[in-house]
Amino acid sequence: MRVRLVFAIALLCASTGLGIAALKIARLGLPLSASAIATVWEVEARVAFEGTGKAARIALGLPQSPRGFTVLDESFVSRGFGLTVQAAPETPRQAIWTQRRASGGQALYYHLKVLPKSETPRKPGAPPAVPPTPEFTEPLALAVAALVAGARHGAADQNGFVSALIARIQRGSDDDARLVRRAIPDGDWPHFATRILASAGLASRVVWGLTLEGDFADRDLAPWLEVHTGERWTGFDPERGTAGWPSNFLVWTHDDPALIEASGVRRAQVAFSGTKTPTPQLAVPHRNPSRLDAALRALSLFDLPVRTQNVYRVLLMVPIGALVIVVMRMVVGIPTFGTFMPVLVALAFRETRLAWGVALFLIVVSLGLLIRVGFTRLRLLLVPRLASVLVIVIGLMLGVSLVSARIGFEPGLSIALFPMVILTMTIERMSIVWDERGGATAVEECAGSLLVAICGYFAMTEPHLGYLMFVFPELLLVALAACLLFGAYTGYRLSELLRFRDLARDPP
Amino acid sequence: MFGLWRALRRRGVLGLNARNRGAIMGHNPRRCYPLVDDKLKTKRLALAAGIAVPELYAVLETEHDLGTLHARLAERPQFVIKPAHGSGGSGVLVVDGREGSNYLTADGRAVAPGQIAYHASNILSGIYSLGGVPDRAMVEYRVHIARIFERVSHHGVPDIRLLVYRGMPAMAMLRLPTRRSAGKANLHQGAVGVGIDLATGVTRGGVWLNRGVGAHPDFGTPLAGIAIPDWSRLLELGARCYELTGLGYLGVDVVLDPERGPLLLELNARPGLAIQIANREGLERRLAAIDALAPLPGDVAARLALLPALIAA
Repeated sequence: MRVRLVFAIALLCASTGLGIAALKIARLGLPLSASAIATVWEVEARVAFEGTGKAARIALGLPQSPRGFTVLDESFVSRGFGLTVQAAPETPRQAIWTQRRASGGQALYYHLKVLPKSETPRKPGAPPAVPPTPEFTEPLALAVAALVAGARHGAADQNGFVSALIARIQRGSDDDARLVRRAIPDGDWPHFATRILASAGLASRVVWGLTLEGDFADRDLAPWLEVHTGERWTGFDPERGTAGWPSNFLVWTHDDPALIEASGVRRAQVAFSGTKTPTPQLAVPHRNPSRLDAALRALSLFDLPVRTQNVYRVLLMVPIGALVIVVMRMVVGIPTFGTFMPVLVALAFRETRLAWGVALFLIVVSLGLLIRVGFTRLRLLLVPRLASVLVIVIGLMLGVSLVSARIGFEPGLSIALFPMVILTMTIERMSIVWDERGGATAVEECAGSLLVAICGYFAMTEPHLGYLMFVFPELLLVALAACLLFGAYTGYRLSELLRFRDLARDPP
Repeated sequence: MFGLWRALRRRGVLGLNARNRGAIMGHNPRRCYPLVDDKLKTKRLALAAGIAVPELYAVLETEHDLGTLHARLAERPQFVIKPAHGSGGSGVLVVDGREGSNYLTADGRAVAPGQIAYHASNILSGIYSLGGVPDRAMVEYRVHIARIFERVSHHGVPDIRLLVYRGMPAMAMLRLPTRRSAGKANLHQGAVGVGIDLATGVTRGGVWLNRGVGAHPDFGTPLAGIAIPDWSRLLELGARCYELTGLGYLGVDVVLDPERGPLLLELNARPGLAIQIANREGLERRLAAIDALAPLPGDVAARLALLPALIAA
């Protein structure tokens, strides 16, 4: 019946909210905790060359959604060169700078900001074409075949085979290994390795990248071997043969085309430098590589102006405060003045800090109450009387602020942030309750309101909660689900256990 | 704490959350509320249905009406001023007589006519009404205390609260004013609630400030064993209020006037739960038993004929 419907809707809301949050964590790499500091790397490629006075064209290979990193931002410093970025889906990305007449020493820059992210296995792509079997001259061919056969013999799987093969060739002390080592042309072992792997029927390639650690300058790209072992590309240390990539290895380009292609200039060369900047994760903006990511991104607050963001930082905590009220009233059974008065007071406490907030609240309410008693004697009609109390409340706030400023008491100034209408209504309600049900009840309700406000303050200033609500505003749906569930709660309030305790004792 | 919880569950004690969601939301259509929230409407409705109510002397609707109040009440030494939309007995002023130009209230204070007018003005401005909306003040007959209650009531008239569920009396209690409640018969203001045996109309133990008591806190007189006169008429009056209002979970407050008999004082769409403590009994089972009888006969007499079996269950 109805309860089931409430449960169903609550479940739907909660799972939608949590689902979106989980997707955001998985796809956008948003962390669950604010304390996680993102290490953002700023990498710069500096292309230096000498112009020859002729038309110049410099093409620089660019990283394309590198494995293990999220690209946050990239920019170019082109200095009078025309720039086009080639980024067709199937071709490698390239920046192409052109100038009709380039002369003298010149430098062009490419800046890249990346954020390391936890590895998500990529979808297996279509396997690359099986490479043509290279033709080695004898006796090299025999040696390669022997090494391949030997490695295959001891290996459990493709990865093990590749590792064993590389290790045998690089470390082996037998004649075959020595023969192969001597045949490596010009120290270009990685490319030679791809040929040997091709002879074993495996597609492989050389990738060039940077190991990001510490700040570095004038570094070259380092080669790494990637072997397609049936499902996906796997990295292998070309020297040791161990599978995987170095940690924080930013793949810059694949082999083809070359990192830099220059025409019309002399001595073109690229040097890389990098710095590491710790950045709070929150400030990290994201590029949107896919439509899902873009949609998730649209559900985030990062793109709002900072001022609006700050407003929502507060507003998104109000449901938490409301939830505290719900629990305090429905489950604990604490009476409060007005339904959401404690939330608003708690919001004011955020600015004043708790102790001073409570003190200022009590000062204004008790002074206001005193003056309100005077108004009772004057027999003022309701609305003008409320207005008068409001004026008095503002006057009291101003007084506290002025006195605080005079004695240099900083927290006293923040009283201006108190919700004066709420204070007015509190004073009015309290004075009526006082008249009708006595001071004890009035003080009790006031204390109840204050207690709930304090609980609300702690919940609403909880930094972790604040972070979660801001980064995952879809958690509003979870708060909604909780409210719905409490709406269907028909159990006792804790205060009722006390109230009905005599009924529990009697024999049935 | 869990032991307490389980004990209350075992005894079928109804909590506020369960009352609000189950009884009130389930059986009280919102559109029927104005009939009971506005005591003037209730009064007219009851009169039309032939149910006796305290006589209405005057209705004050504007500040202008207050000026003539003193003159209009010249013939009435005793009266009650109350807000039409009041709740929980707030804003009720009982005047018992005159002392010179001053009025004497039920708790013995002398009050100037201006104060009476100020009180009425507060009522008009909505101070006692739900939501603070402007209200009307009613001036009506001051009910007197029935002889049988004289020993157990402090400066005020006890009333009888019938809890009527789906047209069937489910529980009843007698509410006795105390010194603490200043003559008022509302439990949260400090009145004593005394459980009444539905079958016989004889009182049992009581509740005061949410605790069970056996004797009146001011006089020490025993609370049990008082036989309410005209009990079956009272039950019938209460049951009829269901048809009157359409409210399935209804508090019917009746006073016994020594001259005029049972008078319907007011109806309550959100009757409280202290009646359970007064009767030493949880409401849940009784309500469930009534639910099991549904559909109940539309005829009041036929409905009440089911009551003995219900009580025995």
